[in-house]
Amino acid sequence: MSRTPAEAADAVAEVFRDVFDQLAAWRAPIEQLLGSSGEIRPVILDTTVADLVPPRLEEPDPMLVGAGFIADGEVVRGKGVHFAWWLGPLADNPVLGSTDGPTRLDLSTRGYTEYLRDFRALEWYRIPATTRHAHVTGPYVDHLCTCDYILTLTMPVHDADGERMVGVVGADLAVRTLERALLATFLEVDEPLALVNEHGRVVLSTEPALQVGQLSGPGAATVACAGTPFTVRVRPAASGSS
Amino acid sequence: METRVGPGAREAVFAQLADAGRAEQVAQRLTDGIVLGVLDPGERLPSEPELARRFGVALITVREGLGILRDAGLVETRRGREGGSFVVRDDAEHRTIITARLRGLAQVELSDMAVYFGAILAGAAERAAERASDEDAANLAGWLRGADFSTAAAARTNQGGFLLELAVLSQSARLVREQIRLQAEFGPLLLLGLVDEAARAEASEFNQRIVRAVVRHRPTRAREAAGELVAMLARRLLAAKARVERGGALDESHAG
Repeated sequence: MSRTPAEAADAVAEVFRDVFDQLAAWRAPIEQLLGSSGEIRPVILDTTVADLVPPRLEEPDPMLVGAGFIADGEVVRGKGVHFAWWLGPLADNPVLGSTDGPTRLDLSTRGYTEYLRDFRALEWYRIPATTRHAHVTGPYVDHLCTCDYILTLTMPVHDADGERMVGVVGADLAVRTLERALLATFLEVDEPLALVNEHGRVVLSTEPALQVGQLSGPGAATVACAGTPFTVRVRPAASGSS
Repeated sequence: METRVGPGAREAVFAQLADAGRAEQVAQRLTDGIVLGVLDPGERLPSEPELARRFGVALITVREGLGILRDAGLVETRRGREGGSFVVRDDAEHRTIITARLRGLAQVELSDMAVYFGAILAGAAERAAERASDEDAANLAGWLRGADFSTAAAARTNQGGFLLELAVLSQSARLVREQIRLQAEFGPLLLLGLVDEAARAEASEFNQRIVRAVVRHRPTRAREAAGELVAMLARRLLAAKARVERGGALDESHAG
């Protein structure tokens, strides 16, 4: 029994809804914690996030390769921008080596400090700060955390008044993990499909001439994936650029 | 990404090692990072356990590697709360080490490294021009405009960062990983020539050509410019080798 492109788009929406639900579930206790005091001590924040995030990264076949909370400056006592971010087990990573359990992202030992001085200009922080809404960045090769082809989902965290954004909760989702969750459904549609982001970049494709990472041309029809920046293009054309 | 200093050159110093002679490899990687100015004088290296994890070797291997560096006078180890291994400042010593390294590698090895580096980079540049969105291309152009090439150290850091940002736009995780690995293994030597102001100006020209090709989605032109950039760096590296083999100075400004 075959499926329709709209059903494929629904399957995409469902995957992202689950991750955003997870982010919202992490955000609530973090917002509560930050709302109860002025500046928070780093150890209190880190302990809270450590209880929330790493268990989800250790599950068998985890959906996420990394996740956590990134605080704006002057939110955590004695700290500028503060990363309470964990990485799942990494296989054969040229920058970070391989790990068999969740590891904390530790910027102080990585020389990223200089590079990330303007991190608030990066898409995964800048867009939620501007729009006050959750955002999906990518797909892109993340060379800071995972050295993998990923999507980064971020959701703004606001202060008690709901005015100032004090940071983002976020999660990294590997494109290959997303593919495992969606490919069977996409293949059940009789026509070739491409799942693309807002720039037309392909995340998943059942048109062999159009590969992941390429920019897609227009499709014969387009179905939006609710709650995401993605669309499913039906019978997509290869990109206009050579 | 509105950044001033690309992460590639620094992070590459600590990228994972291959199997054989690992303590020597630890020492070689850190030596290259120090003498070629990727790691700054006075800088504290990551802790021994952190180095072990990042190089993917045992703690004892890291200690052995650091021992080689201490004997060479490149780091000093201080004990206590504020302790650790610190990069020693000694330019004359650094030049001696680079000279020895260049003498130790045959011309054929140096040029073969450049061929491989060039093949990977040209492939990444070609894909980047094909696959970068207009926004990606504009970000890369903005990054390059703000990157400092006025000193040798800044130019090496930013050249490494630029090549990595370019590889990222290929959308290929494998090309990015290989670019990081190659910059670790060969970047410091290949970028040696940037000590010369004319070379920095030339490299900037090639970088801008690459960016223009990416902005205009011209894969063939991006490939050509990337290949010519590496060819230029390789020529300067081989010229430096010829100078030191003749008993001369490492860079032209000190020759004669």
